[in-house]
Amino acid sequence: MADSLLSGFRALDLTNEKGFVCGKILAALGVEVIKVEKPGGDPARGIPPFLHNIPDPEKSLYWYAFNTDKQSITLNLQVNQGQDLFRKLVEKVDFVLESFVPGYMNSLGLGYEALREVNPRIIMTSITPFGQKGPYAQYKGSELIASAMGGVLLTTGDPDRPPVREGPDSVYFRTGAAAALGTVIAHYHREITGEGQQVDVSLQGVVASRTFTNLVMWEFTKHLIKRSGSVRKIGPRATRWIWQCKDGYVFWAFMPGRFGAPANRALSKWIDEDGLENPLNNIPDWDELDISLISRDEIATYEEAMARFFMNHTKKEIVEEGLKRGINAASIDSPADVLENRQLEARGYWVDLEHPESNSTFMYPKQFFLCDHTHNFVNHRAPLIGEHNQDIYAKELGLSSTEIATLKKTGVI
Amino acid sequence: MEKQALAGVKVVDFGWALVGSLTGKHLGDHGAQVVRVESTTRPDLTRMDRTVSTTKSLDDNPMFTHFNTSKYSMALNLKHPRAPEVVDRLIRWGDVVNANFTPGTLSKMGFGYEHIRGIKPDIIMAEGSAYGQTGPMAQEWGVDGTGAALSGYLHLTGWPDRGPVAPNLPYSDVLLPLFIATAIIAALDYKRRTGKGQYIDASMIEVCSHQITPSLLDWEANRHLQNRNGNRIAYAAPHGIFPCQGDDRWCAIAVFTDGEWEAFCHAIGNPAWTKEPRFATLNSRKENEDTLEEQVSEWTKQHSAQEVMQIMQAAGVPAGVVQTVQDLLENDPQLKERKLLLPLKHPVMGVFSHPTPPFKLLKTKAQVRTSPCMGEHTEYVCTEFLGMSHEEFAELSRQGVFK
Repeated sequence: MADSLLSGFRALDLTNEKGFVCGKILAALGVEVIKVEKPGGDPARGIPPFLHNIPDPEKSLYWYAFNTDKQSITLNLQVNQGQDLFRKLVEKVDFVLESFVPGYMNSLGLGYEALREVNPRIIMTSITPFGQKGPYAQYKGSELIASAMGGVLLTTGDPDRPPVREGPDSVYFRTGAAAALGTVIAHYHREITGEGQQVDVSLQGVVASRTFTNLVMWEFTKHLIKRSGSVRKIGPRATRWIWQCKDGYVFWAFMPGRFGAPANRALSKWIDEDGLENPLNNIPDWDELDISLISRDEIATYEEAMARFFMNHTKKEIVEEGLKRGINAASIDSPADVLENRQLEARGYWVDLEHPESNSTFMYPKQFFLCDHTHNFVNHRAPLIGEHNQDIYAKELGLSSTEIATLKKTGVI
Repeated sequence: MEKQALAGVKVVDFGWALVGSLTGKHLGDHGAQVVRVESTTRPDLTRMDRTVSTTKSLDDNPMFTHFNTSKYSMALNLKHPRAPEVVDRLIRWGDVVNANFTPGTLSKMGFGYEHIRGIKPDIIMAEGSAYGQTGPMAQEWGVDGTGAALSGYLHLTGWPDRGPVAPNLPYSDVLLPLFIATAIIAALDYKRRTGKGQYIDASMIEVCSHQITPSLLDWEANRHLQNRNGNRIAYAAPHGIFPCQGDDRWCAIAVFTDGEWEAFCHAIGNPAWTKEPRFATLNSRKENEDTLEEQVSEWTKQHSAQEVMQIMQAAGVPAGVVQTVQDLLENDPQLKERKLLLPLKHPVMGVFSHPTPPFKLLKTKAQVRTSPCMGEHTEYVCTEFLGMSHEEFAELSRQGVFK
């Protein structure tokens, strides 16, 4: 097997759903990721949906999704013996990923400073709702809370209803990606200098760091951008993003200037060919079109004509014929549609992962990106609870079978 | 200056718009030398955006700044006949080439991966695109919404009785750069160990589709097709956005466990309705969620969003104000503590907030510098980084390469 970008490095992953994705990405890059669960299993194994809709810690499809390629051991960190075992493991790894309340690891004698004593090279990535320090550090958070507090939630939803959350679980996913980036940056520095450190990731910070355009609008014009349904607002200008067709929805953005001109021209021509009323013909020069300079009413006139046009076609027509014409609309695909996407299939995006304990096999996304000299793929289903206890405790820590049996009996593992 | 994690890493940044620009920003904010190669003959979209700026200047657009902090700017007309020799010198200097043109564009100009690798065999080159560099759709262009649509994200955003909606902020465009930057740094470490370079091909729809893996598995395993579901989720109730005092003010509340439910009831003064059996368990609350949300709203309406958050958090219930960007800048002591939106002075636009990285390295802190003006560092890059003599620079400059 070809190696991966980070083959040969190891991580202990103590995260819950707020941090799963970080370890998943590192595992796909070749890091040996060992999930450390409390005896009985991580509580996040209770997150639905479940295989065949049967609630069971070994059947959470949510857990399956974001713990691929990880190993699992069970360990009670609240007892001294468990803490000792954990410190022994820390000696042998490169990363610790955790998402406990700030201060909790410290209260167990397992905070960054304590782990550094054991392994000065260790990188500890801590993922929490609001960060390690500050007035809200002890506040509880979640996907929804972080989206609210980070300023993205207010910008999503229909204006006549409360703000609405983004597709699941956007905050956790982006946080995992940000945490993975922070972790590899710290890793790069560590490999050159020998110095480890703690990486402090906050869900709220991850959300707020994305509020670019709206920050600009507030700071420069004192204009607050809120939610506007299927219309995308960039600054004061707003253009429709989501269009209803005969059988569903497509994404197509009315973009200004030289960048948008070829698609705009092609769409206008197609509206003419359909024999529909076409006020877009009034636009003198598509290359010079500056949407921020035309009135909302004028945009509305154009958009009404476009809306009639989209409703005149099926999604498939808009997408396939649109590609030939350079319009490049994209269909708003359901999960079932995503599994059928021919581009993804052509790029070998799917991997069948076997779940032998339930005699089933499911297709999972295989790559986050492709590299020419390394394989960085999802390879293996998520682990069962404590599936690798024997491997890790016997082979890695050299415990005998009687020692392991005693640890099990006393609830340490 | 304090040490930075990526000190010594040299990046030739052909990135533009959001994806490429942000990839370079992630590297520059942590100390890499990032040379943004751009041209007045085809300026970045965000340098020309007229949302805030009212002039035709290329240097007074804060959008560009947000995506291009901590970089050097080199003006270089890639279509000039003498541009290739300058590009080749940049590549010899660099460890990393970052780009996100529509696939095929760089090759057409003569600067594709084959050419670059010919000059520097251990180069790390990353290209981000909507669909990826291969496959039947490879040559097609796409934007932020393309990734949002094709990955299932938009389908799952909104209310069950209505069509999909989109946030007024980028989604795919901010997700992809995190993965490309991760790949680049992992590849740098791989090169350190093996001596081998790497080509990285990152597709927006591939990155984004990972996010909905639970929904994919729900369809595969259970033939259950997930749809938009407002703010509700299967494992928490109440879980939503509730109206508070003031105009368009809301607070998010998320009650996951039995303990949090008890704490919630206590925090609102244990009114009679909370004792009703139909609200006793998660399952029964889910079955009566409309009524539950009405009851919760009756209570939240009597308070400001800030009060609701504080009462809930004091009781140990997850809650948070639905904050505006004004709140982020003015009313949020936590973001202030983290210096997440950092006021920095730009030479043309003055002081305004610059988003800093979404994570903190506690020993090698990010040092964010404001964005460069167009071509601000052309001479500096040529003479200091590329080792050109001043005469050579002046000659090329006279011929109009650096535009």
